[in-house]
Amino acid sequence: MEHFIQAENFGKIAPYLTLFWQGTAVTVLMSLFTVVIGFLLALLLATMRLSRFCPLAFLGVDKEGRLRDGGVLLAVSRFNPLAFLATAYVEILRSTPVLVQVFIIYYGVFGALVTLPKFTVLGFIKFERFVPGIVALGMNSGAYLCEIIRSGIQSIDGGQTEASRSLGMTQMQTMRFIILPQAIKNILPAIANEFVVIIKESAITYTIGVQDIMSAVNAVRGATFIIIEPLLVATAIYFCLCFPTSKIIAYFERRMSRGDRR
Amino acid sequence: MATGDKLIEVRDLKKYYNRGAIKALDGISVDINRGDVAVVIGPSGSGKSTFLRSLNLMEEPTGGSIVFDGVDITKKKVPDGSGKLVRLDIDRHRQKMGMVFQHFNLFPHMTILQNMTLAPVQVRHMPQAQAEEKANQLLKRVGLGDRAGAYPIQLSGGQKQRIAIVRALMMEPEVMLFDEPTSALDPEMVGEVLDVMKELAHEGMTMVVVTHEMGFAREVGNRVLFMADGRLLEQNEPHALFDHPQHPRLKDFLSKVL
Ligand SMILES: Nc1ncnc2c1ncn2[C@@H]1O[C@H](COP(=O)(O)OP(=O)(O)OP(=O)(O)O)[C@@H](O)[C@H]1O
Ligand SMILES: [Mg+2]
Repeated sequence: MEHFIQAENFGKIAPYLTLFWQGTAVTVLMSLFTVVIGFLLALLLATMRLSRFCPLAFLGVDKEGRLRDGGVLLAVSRFNPLAFLATAYVEILRSTPVLVQVFIIYYGVFGALVTLPKFTVLGFIKFERFVPGIVALGMNSGAYLCEIIRSGIQSIDGGQTEASRSLGMTQMQTMRFIILPQAIKNILPAIANEFVVIIKESAITYTIGVQDIMSAVNAVRGATFIIIEPLLVATAIYFCLCFPTSKIIAYFERRMSRGDRR
Repeated sequence: MATGDKLIEVRDLKKYYNRGAIKALDGISVDINRGDVAVVIGPSGSGKSTFLRSLNLMEEPTGGSIVFDGVDITKKKVPDGSGKLVRLDIDRHRQKMGMVFQHFNLFPHMTILQNMTLAPVQVRHMPQAQAEEKANQLLKRVGLGDRAGAYPIQLSGGQKQRIAIVRALMMEPEVMLFDEPTSALDPEMVGEVLDVMKELAHEGMTMVVVTHEMGFAREVGNRVLFMADGRLLEQNEPHALFDHPQHPRLKDFLSKVL
């Protein structure tokens, strides 16, 4: 009877260890780039969603310059195209599979619209596959991070805004001095958690030929016809990346909440 | 600018919610004069907070007008000095109206000193050193001179509310609005906050105070306004209003709270 795991198979895959190290480097780099792209995109999206840009506001005001009491015109006057676009983006990205998004970016955008130069960085990062990978993952996590930032800002008690505005501070000053400093403290742990999610989700980019940890598994299988043991190695690597990261985040989260008791 | 001049002129002020299904304010007309201590009383849900919050446009009125310092602040566009229509700068008007909230709303990530100097420095462009000196003077006056470096979390409710009052005073407002400033306090701390408010009144500050402290209304107020169902049902000087209430709703209300 065949065993599920065979010790000698580990010996057979040992020569391919470099592939795993390189894959790990790619996965970590890709996750870092993704978080940065995602965060910048999320800042833009959250700003759009929370903006008060209403180009049709004049429709909500009557001839005497006073706000209307209901009606279609009042509703139309509240339409914010920036918020609408950002909301549509977030909802579409969150309601479709990452795999589909990755394929659309790789085969659609970078296959037909934009042509990337083909070269290799550090000897093992294929530029023309790595870039679509981080763009697709970054666009996806941008949608999730946008919601994290937005809820972080909205979780600040409305009394804070009222107190600030009652002192004559503008909306911008209130954001900068009162809301953001408090919100960022709530948001940081969630952003760090999103980083862990991205490390795991980035495995999907092996389908477009990014040479990450999963692609190392595939390569070893192709060469040796062994599958279980390389998968176990990949599992161990992912675990060693993600588990300590979440523990470190949890540690800082506890420390920061203690900071509230200053 | 003498005491007795009209400072705020409220006419037929209305605030509806849910397309008129809820009439939080149903036509309020009242004048607030300089030096007035107007105490607003009334049952829960009668629109007291909405009225106060409309005065500095925390709530946007559905109808009516609020003329403050000669400018109708309910209009989006107002005439400037030369009569040309310009956008109303609500932030400038809010600087002239201090507001004190039931739940203090101090900024928890800042020290007491930072809480007090932020707006004068950012909004009024007061030099930091000058703002700190002013803040320290005010803190001494309310007996908290040694707490400038503390964070709000380290203070008792009564201390927080005294800080909230002097924080608003830093902007040198023309009128102070108080929304149940002692309702969230333990009973033994109510007195210290009322004392600060009393002193402020004696210095001639114009005040509009929503409160359930009938003793304060009687002793410090020069007018009491009784609200019910979004309407101003009766107003009078305190002794007349408390001792000879006219409206049945007021009689009923007083029988429950006195
Ligand atoms: N944002 C809102 N949406 C809908 N209804 C509201 C809103 N704010 C206030 N109301 C309603 O308006 C009415 C007046 O509320 P308001 O808070 O002004 O009363 P109040 O006199 O301050 O009461 P309390 O003594 O309980 O503070 C209430 O019926 C309340 O439910
Ligand atoms: Mg109230």
